Order: sequence, then C-alpha cells, then structure tokens
Amino acid sequence: MEARKRLSAVAVGGAMLLAVAACGGGGTGTSSTPGATQPPAAGGSDKAFVWALSAEPKALDGAYVSDGESLRVIRQMFEGLVGTKPGSTEVVPALATKWESTDGTNWTFTLKQGVKFHDGTDFNAEAACWNFERWYNFKGAQQNPAVSYYWYTVFGGYAKNEDASLAPSSYKGCKAEGTDKITISLAAPSASFIAALSLPSFSMVSPAAIQKSGDAVEMKGDAPEFTGKFATEAPVGTGPYKFVSWQRGDRVTLQAFDGYHGEKAKIKDLIFRAISDAPARRQALESGEIDGFDQVEPADVDTLKGAGFQVQERSALNVGYIGFNQKMAPLDNPKIRQAIAYAINREALVQAKYPAGSRVATQFMPPELTGYNEGVTTYGYDVNKAKQLIAESGVANPTIELWYPTGVTRPYMPDPKANFEAFKADLEAAGFKVTVKSARWTPEYLDAVDNGKAMVYMIGWNADFADADNFVGTFFQQFNKRFGFENKEIFDKLNAAEQETDAAKRTTLYQEANKLIMDFLPGLPYVHNKSFVGLGKDVQGFLTDPLSNENFSLVSRG
Amino acid sequence: MSLGAAEAAITVAEDHGGGVWREAFKRLSRNPAAIIGAVLIALFLFVAIFADWLAPYTALAPDLKQIKGPGHIPGPTAEHWLGLDDQGRDLLSRIILGARQSLLVGVVSLLFGMIGGIILGLLAGGLGGWFDTGVMRLVDMMLAVPGLLFAIGIAAMLGEGLLAVMIAIGVVNVPVFARLLRGQMLAQREADYAMAAKSLGVKRRRVILGHVFPNSLTPVIVQGTLTLATAIIEAAGLAFLGLSGADPSIPEWGRMLAESQRHLAIAPQLVIAPGLAIVLAALGFTLLGESLREALDPKYRR
Repeated sequence: MEARKRLSAVAVGGAMLLAVAACGGGGTGTSSTPGATQPPAAGGSDKAFVWALSAEPKALDGAYVSDGESLRVIRQMFEGLVGTKPGSTEVVPALATKWESTDGTNWTFTLKQGVKFHDGTDFNAEAACWNFERWYNFKGAQQNPAVSYYWYTVFGGYAKNEDASLAPSSYKGCKAEGTDKITISLAAPSASFIAALSLPSFSMVSPAAIQKSGDAVEMKGDAPEFTGKFATEAPVGTGPYKFVSWQRGDRVTLQAFDGYHGEKAKIKDLIFRAISDAPARRQALESGEIDGFDQVEPADVDTLKGAGFQVQERSALNVGYIGFNQKMAPLDNPKIRQAIAYAINREALVQAKYPAGSRVATQFMPPELTGYNEGVTTYGYDVNKAKQLIAESGVANPTIELWYPTGVTRPYMPDPKANFEAFKADLEAAGFKVTVKSARWTPEYLDAVDNGKAMVYMIGWNADFADADNFVGTFFQQFNKRFGFENKEIFDKLNAAEQETDAAKRTTLYQEANKLIMDFLPGLPYVHNKSFVGLGKDVQGFLTDPLSNENFSLVSRG
Repeated sequence: MSLGAAEAAITVAEDHGGGVWREAFKRLSRNPAAIIGAVLIALFLFVAIFADWLAPYTALAPDLKQIKGPGHIPGPTAEHWLGLDDQGRDLLSRIILGARQSLLVGVVSLLFGMIGGIILGLLAGGLGGWFDTGVMRLVDMMLAVPGLLFAIGIAAMLGEGLLAVMIAIGVVNVPVFARLLRGQMLAQREADYAMAAKSLGVKRRRVILGHVFPNSLTPVIVQGTLTLATAIIEAAGLAFLGLSGADPSIPEWGRMLAESQRHLAIAPQLVIAPGLAIVLAALGFTLLGESLREALDPKYRR
C-alpha cells in the first residue's frame, strides 16, 4: 500500500511541473489571476475599455515617475505644454499653441485659452509657471533621482541642491505675462529642450489640487513612498480622462472628462489592470477580459492574428547594445573591442530572434532620428578578422566576463538569455574565453552595470523623446561609469551638438559624433527592435506610437 | 569463551552478512516493479555516463541559421528525431546531455545530505542525552519547513550556481537521514545482540560503531534510493525557478522545461520531452527504492 502512495506522489510531482509549465508560471514578480472580475458589460461604447499593464503604476504624478507603465496611465489624464503627434515623434502644440526663442535660452510659450483642470480651476500662465517652480523647488526626497528622474535628466539640479553630487540646474526661471504667455529661461541654450518637454513627466497639474491633497514623498530605504494624496488618490490634470479610483493591486479606473478642451474621449470608462505575467496577458485578451496590452511576445504574434485578434506593429525608437567597460582589461584595448564586434553575428541573431522588420543596429541611435549617420564604421560578422585582431592586440587568451540579466524582458531584448547564448557561442568561436555572469535585472544587474562592475554586458535604451540627445547624449556626453572611458573629442562634440540651435548644423554635429563613437567603439549596438500591441477584435482607432505615448481617447469600438 | 570469540558469535547472530541482502535480491528479482525501476535506472545511468557518445549533436552553442524568425521552431525530422529547440539546437541531444546534469546534481546532493545526516544521526543515536535532544529539535525545526521552499531559500542565499543547488538539496535531506538513522540506532541499541555485547563488557564505542551502526544502515540505503528521485525533481524544480547554474547553454531538464513553456502552444515537444525525462528518471529510483524497502522489511517476509 505504502509503495503505491509514494509512487503517486512522484507522478503528481512530475505532472505538477508540467502543469506549471503549461500555465506559464515562473515569470517574474507576482502574477495576478485573470478571471476574478469582469468589466461591466453594457455593450457598444458604454462598455469600459480595459488595458492590461505589465506592472502596477508607482504613482500618478508625472513629476515623480519615470517608468513606462505609470506614464501610460498619466498620459491619459494629463497634458504638457507640448506633446507629440499621435503615431509619430513630431513635437506638436498641446497646452501651448506656439513657442519661440531668439537665442535658445529664453523660450516664450503662448498658452491655449479656456482650458480647465478636472477640478474646475483654470489652466493659465500662472498655473503653468507654478508647475515649473514646483519642480525646480523640489526638496528632500523629491530630489532623489528615483523620484524626479526626468527633471534631473533634462534640467539638471534644483533651486537648492541638497546633495553635493547633483549638478547645478539649467532652469533659471518662469515669468507669466498676462494670462496666456509664459517665458522660461535657461542657463544655456538647449535645442533638445522643447522635445524633452513633450515627456509626460512635464505634465501640467492643477495647483489647487496639489495644495489640497499634498504631494509629500518620503524615502523608505531606496524606494520612494508617496504620502501626499495627489499622486495616489486625487490626481488632477487637463487631459481627456479624469481620475475615478485606484484599487491597489487591482485596477485604476478613469472616466472621460466632459469639460475637455479638445476632442472628447470616445469611450467613457477606461480601466487599467496590472497583469505581470506575459502569457497571462495574452490569455486575458483571448478570453475577452481585456481589450489590449503591450509587448506581445514576437512568438505570439501569429497565434493571436490567427485567432482574429489585432496585432499592431510599432516601430519603436530603441537600441539594444553590448556595453564595454574600458576600466577593465582587456576592454581598454581597442583591438579587443573591435574583435568582439567582428566576432558577433548580429544579423543571424536579429533574423532568428527578433520580429520581422527589426533592424541590425550600426550605431547607438535609430535611423528615424536626425543625426543618424549612414557612413559610420560598420563591423560585419567576420570570425577570421576577429581572430586576427586578437592576435594583433597582444592579449594572449583574452578572457571576458559577459553579463546577462534575469527576470526581465525589454523591448530591445525580448529574451536576454537567448541573446546571451548566441553572443557567448560567437565569442568562443573567435577565441575568447567567456566567463558567465548573471544577476536579476533590478537591482543587482543594473547596479553592477551603473557602478562600473560589469565588464561586458547586455543592455539597451528606449527613447524618452525623439532626439539624438536622448540616445548618444545620455550615453556619451560625459564620463559614464558604465563605459569607464574619458574621450574629450566625443564629449565636446556632443556638448556642442546639444547647444546648437541651428537644425542643420546640429544634425551634422550628431553625425560626426556618431562616426567618432563607432570608431572608438565603447560598445556594440546590435538591434533596433519592433514591438507589438495586441488588441481585441472590435477595437478601432488605436494608433501605436513610437514613444509608447498611445492616446486612448482616440479609441472606439466597432 | 574469550571476549573476541564471543563477539564473533554475536556478529554471526546479527545476520547482517549476505543473508538478508541475498534474500532481498531474490525477492526483488521476482517483483516486476523493481525490474522496471532497475531498467529505468540502468538506462538513465547509461545515458548520463555516455552522453557525449550518445548525443548525435554537440547541441551547446545556438545554431540560429536554423531559426527563420521568432516563433519558428523546427519540429521532428529524420536528422533531428525530437526536432530543434528555439535556439536551433537538437532537442534529443540536449535531453541526453541533460541526464548527466541531473545525475550529477542528484548524486552529489544525495551524498551531501546522506553524509551530513549520518554524522548527525550517529552522534545523536550514539551519544544520546542532551546532545540527542538538541540535534533532534534542530531536525524537527528543519523538517517543519517544506522541503522545496527550504531549498529555494538556501539556494537563493548562496547565490546562483550549480554547487549552491547541490548544497541546498543536500541540506534539505540532512534531517531526513539524521532522524531515520537515529531512530534505527535507538531500536538496535536495545536489541539482544547489543545487550549481549554490552553484558560481555565490550566497550560502548565499539558496540555502537562496530555493531549497532552497521545494522542501522539498511533503511538509510533504501531512503537514499528514494531521495535520489526527489533530489532529481527538486533540482529540476530549482532550475525551473531560475536557480541553477549561471551558464544557460548547459542543458538542464528543469531549465529546459521553464524556458520552453512560452512555446507550449506551438512546440509542445519542447516541454513534453524534458518533463517526461524527469518523470522517468524519478520513477525509476522510486520503483526500485520502494521495492527494496519491501524486500528488506521483515514484515513483508513470507
């Protein structure tokens, strides 16, 4: 008898493993169970539009977040002075109807008239300047890079920097002229400033609502806690949707704003649910529980299309690259860096593991952006050349530590382990000895990379705004621990490009910078990936956006 | 009769020589479950040991030329009996190479657990007293935590790596062996032969190490066979959860299962093959272990 019991236990154990595999467990974090609740079914456009996020938003105040899933929700409730045209990266008027500057330092914006916040207060010059002054005067935890990341990235520091390592702010002040004009002054000319303002992080919030609900932030260890209620319970903006409720761990509910100044939202109720597990998101779409989700796995595209669902392609502005840390030998040797570049078969990887339409990268920014240079040095796959370069380098039996992240997929890296295995095999074929290093994406992997502890590592970048500065400027404009090199020529070129306000001259400067960078080879860019959005059969008017700034107010049901 | 001669007589009376095992083997050879188990184990060992010769392809480095795009996973053909995985590698070869990894993890972690357990059990059962109480409370505490959860905790603490997995599974099994051996030794200490040796004036240490201990090992060996089955499953479980060696190009059944789950809809063979391999290997050890237990248990003697 006992023998039988034991046997069945083993059989059950094995079957359980299979079952777990079938259910698609083993993903990262918690996976919420779809199927617990159904959206209210009313039919037609009265039925709520349900979108599955891959993670719950952190907070609903753009100034406090930098993660895509928070910004996606924020994007529906808030607007900035400028925006981007839906489906493109072109900067277009939003709350400002026009803007001008004679010197690149002082920028005058003319504001749209008759715009109201969701709480009924007016949006005007005073409110706009109040927003800039709020960001500039951030204190304490608000200055933490984990909180006001984009302000710091675009404007440098704050009115009173509380940490000596913070840079001085490039923001000088905001002056209201009447009710419909403001002038923003910068410390130095900046040409990327306007494009940066299209970030949802620079959305205009209602001053009255902030004063009423509070916007306090505290640091709990390394993570911010939003104690002010504005960011969690009462966000108020000017966008086509207004906030209704946020049930933690379940959903954020928004409703069309009747007093919206532009074209009103077509669907009344908009619900965001967090489903962290990728297969569970697909299943939720298939069961009709949600109407759409982002980052459809490339392998699922045909399956979903075959079942009648819509899969829209997005030509995302991103780059996947292998970074080299030159502080670590033998990466300080340019011949070794070149040998790695020649050793890796990027074409084969992109063709096999990335969706059709993805491109092999030749430089650190996608071709859609101005400043892209067709004439950079390319390093086509050539094992013999790699072997020859290793021989010339004088490094005998070069050993490199190759890092890959676990517990993550990124648009430029849908399957990090697959990329890693391909790179490792290619490098070994060229004569490198490869030491395997891996860590969880957050915090260990990113910490190792950002603190210069990773030698050769897989990483990438998704555009925040469509500008060369957001790519090469972010990576190479100053000393960066990730790459561990000082190259004055590259730094100077990028600084000059960022400050140049003449578009043609600026393009040339970035092209020259890209050439310098690819000759110097601080890393090996390998892919500009496409990504996919999955949508329900009856969804209409959804426009994928290269910056993931999809506007849900344009969506309707057929 | 001298002390030595008397002790020799006791040893004969204990009957721990060939008698029990020979009889057990006879019973095993008549038990179909045992034969199936033995065949599965033999097959598993053979495949694991000769993996390099048996595997039709090297199957370590990806061969991306075979993959036409994401979601394209070539199925079985004459050259590749089980088809290719999503990296263009021969699946059959990876299953065969994976056997070696499973055997390695299974045996090494079993040895860790068994040696640790035997040392603790021997000391507890042999010394008795406060030491026994202390060790057994520790064992109770360790057994209170579910095995896999415990292993995950230890493996996560030690960091990623094959050795961490083996230590984790080993540690989980230490209390099982310790308790089993200690219980057996307590029973054997009161047995007639032990009493006889003691009354003859044989030293306590000699009674315990020379007589009681070897006589208590039989259930430990049976448990070892069964534990090998759970160790293989636990190793696969940990790998499934991402806690195996850092180098993903080395085939491991649990990891193969975990990585293929997202292709279940288009290429179920990628999931079924390693799943079946895990089940069969574990089944072999379980069948043989259980039969061995029955065969050695006097209650089942006819």
